[in-house]
Amino acid sequence: MRRFILRRLAVMPLLLLGIVTIAFCISRLIPANPLASIVGERALNNDKIVAAAKARWGLNGSLPEQYFIYIKNLLTGDLGTSFRTRQPVTDDLLHRLPATLELAAGALLIGGVGGVALGAYAASRKDKPADHFSRGFALLGSSLPVFWIGLVFLFVLYARLGWFPGPGRLPPRTKPPDHVTGFYTIDSLLDGNFTLFRQSLHRLVLPCFVLGWAYMGQLSRLVRAAMLDEINADYVRTARAKGLAERLVMRRHVLRNAWLPTLTILGFSFAQLLTASVLTETIFQWNGIGSYAVQAANTLDFPAVNGVSLFAGLAFLLANLTTDVLYAVADPKIRLA
Amino acid sequence: MVAVGLVAVVTAVSCGSDDSNDTSATAAPTGSEPTAATDAGGTAAPAAEGRELVIARDMDINSLDLSRSYCDTCQIFNTAVYETLITVDPADPNKILARLATSWEGNADNTVFTFKLDPAATFTDGSPVEAKDVKWSWERLANVKASASYLMSGLNTLEAPDAATWGATFEAPNSAFLPIVAASYLGVINSDVATEQGASAAADADTADKAEEWFLANSAGSGPYTLESYTQGESLVLARNDQYWGPDKPVFPRVTFSQVKDSSSQLQQLQAGDADIAMQISLDSVSQLEGDSNVTTSVVDSFNYVYIALSPGAEGAEKLQDPNIRKAIVKAIDYDGAIESLVAGKGKKQASPIPNGFLGSADLTLPSYDLEGAKQLLADAGMADGFDLDATYPEANVYGVDFSLMMQKIQQDLVKVNINLQLTPVQFPEWADRIDAKGIPVTAVYFAPDHTDPSQYIQFFGEIPGSSWASRAGGGDAGTPLDNPKESELLATALASSGDARTQAYTDLGQQMIDDAIIVPIVNPQLVLATASDITGMHYSACCNLDLGLLGLAG
Repeated sequence: MRRFILRRLAVMPLLLLGIVTIAFCISRLIPANPLASIVGERALNNDKIVAAAKARWGLNGSLPEQYFIYIKNLLTGDLGTSFRTRQPVTDDLLHRLPATLELAAGALLIGGVGGVALGAYAASRKDKPADHFSRGFALLGSSLPVFWIGLVFLFVLYARLGWFPGPGRLPPRTKPPDHVTGFYTIDSLLDGNFTLFRQSLHRLVLPCFVLGWAYMGQLSRLVRAAMLDEINADYVRTARAKGLAERLVMRRHVLRNAWLPTLTILGFSFAQLLTASVLTETIFQWNGIGSYAVQAANTLDFPAVNGVSLFAGLAFLLANLTTDVLYAVADPKIRLA
Repeated sequence: MVAVGLVAVVTAVSCGSDDSNDTSATAAPTGSEPTAATDAGGTAAPAAEGRELVIARDMDINSLDLSRSYCDTCQIFNTAVYETLITVDPADPNKILARLATSWEGNADNTVFTFKLDPAATFTDGSPVEAKDVKWSWERLANVKASASYLMSGLNTLEAPDAATWGATFEAPNSAFLPIVAASYLGVINSDVATEQGASAAADADTADKAEEWFLANSAGSGPYTLESYTQGESLVLARNDQYWGPDKPVFPRVTFSQVKDSSSQLQQLQAGDADIAMQISLDSVSQLEGDSNVTTSVVDSFNYVYIALSPGAEGAEKLQDPNIRKAIVKAIDYDGAIESLVAGKGKKQASPIPNGFLGSADLTLPSYDLEGAKQLLADAGMADGFDLDATYPEANVYGVDFSLMMQKIQQDLVKVNINLQLTPVQFPEWADRIDAKGIPVTAVYFAPDHTDPSQYIQFFGEIPGSSWASRAGGGDAGTPLDNPKESELLATALASSGDARTQAYTDLGQQMIDDAIIVPIVNPQLVLATASDITGMHYSACCNLDLGLLGLAG
């Protein structure tokens, strides 16, 4: 197992280099002018301003020169400075990462626990009204566009009914807690500020649910199918024949064996949630990596686009590795070499 | 169901802590001082002391460094934190008022300008605002070669004969200079503080200046507010300058700009009491605020506009080289219908690129829909059967105008004269690449003024050497087919004259640009100013967008 992990970790830099190179080439080769967002439309025909901007942002060299400088800086941990935020991309990503992780973790919790429970419940009530309801609920979650359901939830649950707070990680007129982890829920607890903890937790509910619901739908269908495969297996019949209570049969035997395919999805889902939070973050004014990526792409902010690509690639590679390891832990029959 | 249960559990955990429904807790917790009490509905109570102002806004900040900034939100920030020598009356864009300067004058031919600084003016650190700071700030603006540096073009010398007197000399007459001085980008920075942080005003400031990152977390101005913090994509927080030297002391201890992207969210937050001001509410949403006693709404005229540009020199636009075909297109557009469909009727027609309300705009004839006239012009040009034109435009929603809707409306209008627009929406960087490479026959763009002098419109839109749109449309140099020497002459006259002669020169320039039929303003949208009902002094300013120092609380 150790050799497997070390080998995968050793290959990772090469894979990341490939990702960065592809992102670099795509962003540079598309017919678009990043100066539009650096100097603005009105200065595009001002030679002095354009020349100064090109020199300042490293856009005056040839493409291979720019690539060489980028990779050289990357090896020292310098991802460059964002054209748009005027701050180092590494700082931008680190600042936004906790917001995205907090959102993704909440969504994974809601989607993961909800999906498994919903799938298991539906399997145990196959073709009964509860099964149809569960499947309908799941289908709804995975079918409705995130941006639409997010706006509807905000309009109904925040603006009209006032049951949930509005967009943003904290209420207006509220200072964030002292920065320790960047997770407002954790930092407010570390501050001993329980009011702020409750407020930040409350503000997580809607965006996490919107993001997690789609994922919950996919997962519940998978769990239901996997459990239905297992439910008629010989060992389950034997367990029932031994007089084991149906609830125990389902929990200890069926669900445990249906868990393996679910684990694969779970691992990748976290990486997907990290990178797919774009719309949710935009709608809920969640200043995370998703909204950063959208703005970077819209303005052709080269350093930020490459930085986000690197982050996304890293997230998927780590999720892949973690899933493989967990798979081996969960199923002793699987040996990693 | 389990998921719903989970939500219920989390909701239960937070029960009683709903920040929009607090009844007794202050709304500024987390170790900070309480700043605002809220009532049961979440609406901030008008307790004057300690009331924090929250502005919901889609912030377009490119920099908080005064000399490098260039955006609408920057204008508000700059005006609040830094001060210019003079400013513009929000009620009249052609009226100049004092700020750091007590007096100002230009010589007869508009080449020499002298200002007397107010001896009482101080920066936030208590040091006096001196002529050396003005000189340093303006030199830095010119030398960093950033977007707003063009405002200093033509400047010959900057002189500070003593600490309180300040002079600028130009190579050629420049009657635009006083309005330019009122532009927020010409604010005054505390040069001693900024220099310590790596700022430079030297000729090589574009490479030597290293202070931009410092300015993202600090400010060094003399305005009513100072920068407290900035989190890109989240919030911009200003703190009251308790030592403010001016007569009108700032009211709010803190002003927070909250990043709220879309109009509907801004509206919801205003109605819920989570925001005190929303400035980007779409014009068709105004009706939703009617009858809401907690919100005050007004619709005011703006100086912004959206336009289409016809570029005869673009690839595939050869037919537009005939001015009568361009004029036919101008006549074939149903402006009233566009205003109704794009901004719910809350906008105005505009005659030329010089916006309504600016010098030279008053006596020009507004465009009108003349389908028969358009058909006749096309028939005379031998184009009665029509032709196709590429219409690539940036995908944007600016000043409440959705560009896609606007271009579809124009497409529908032009098809009636057999001109078929091939609409292609693209992202802005792609549009910028196209417009400067092979040009775009028909496109859509927008414009908001940097200052209140009409010369900026001729320099950007006129068919004169150096103008951006002359170059994009296929001209740009003297003697090229689109070059209009009359406009160059009129601009020189306008910059050298004052009073009625100046007004007449700009009126003539406006007419010349109408006759060019290159830039076709479609709508001059009005602006919705929506605030909590206890906010006073809300306004829109041509030079500065919004001057936070003028805002207050009723009662």
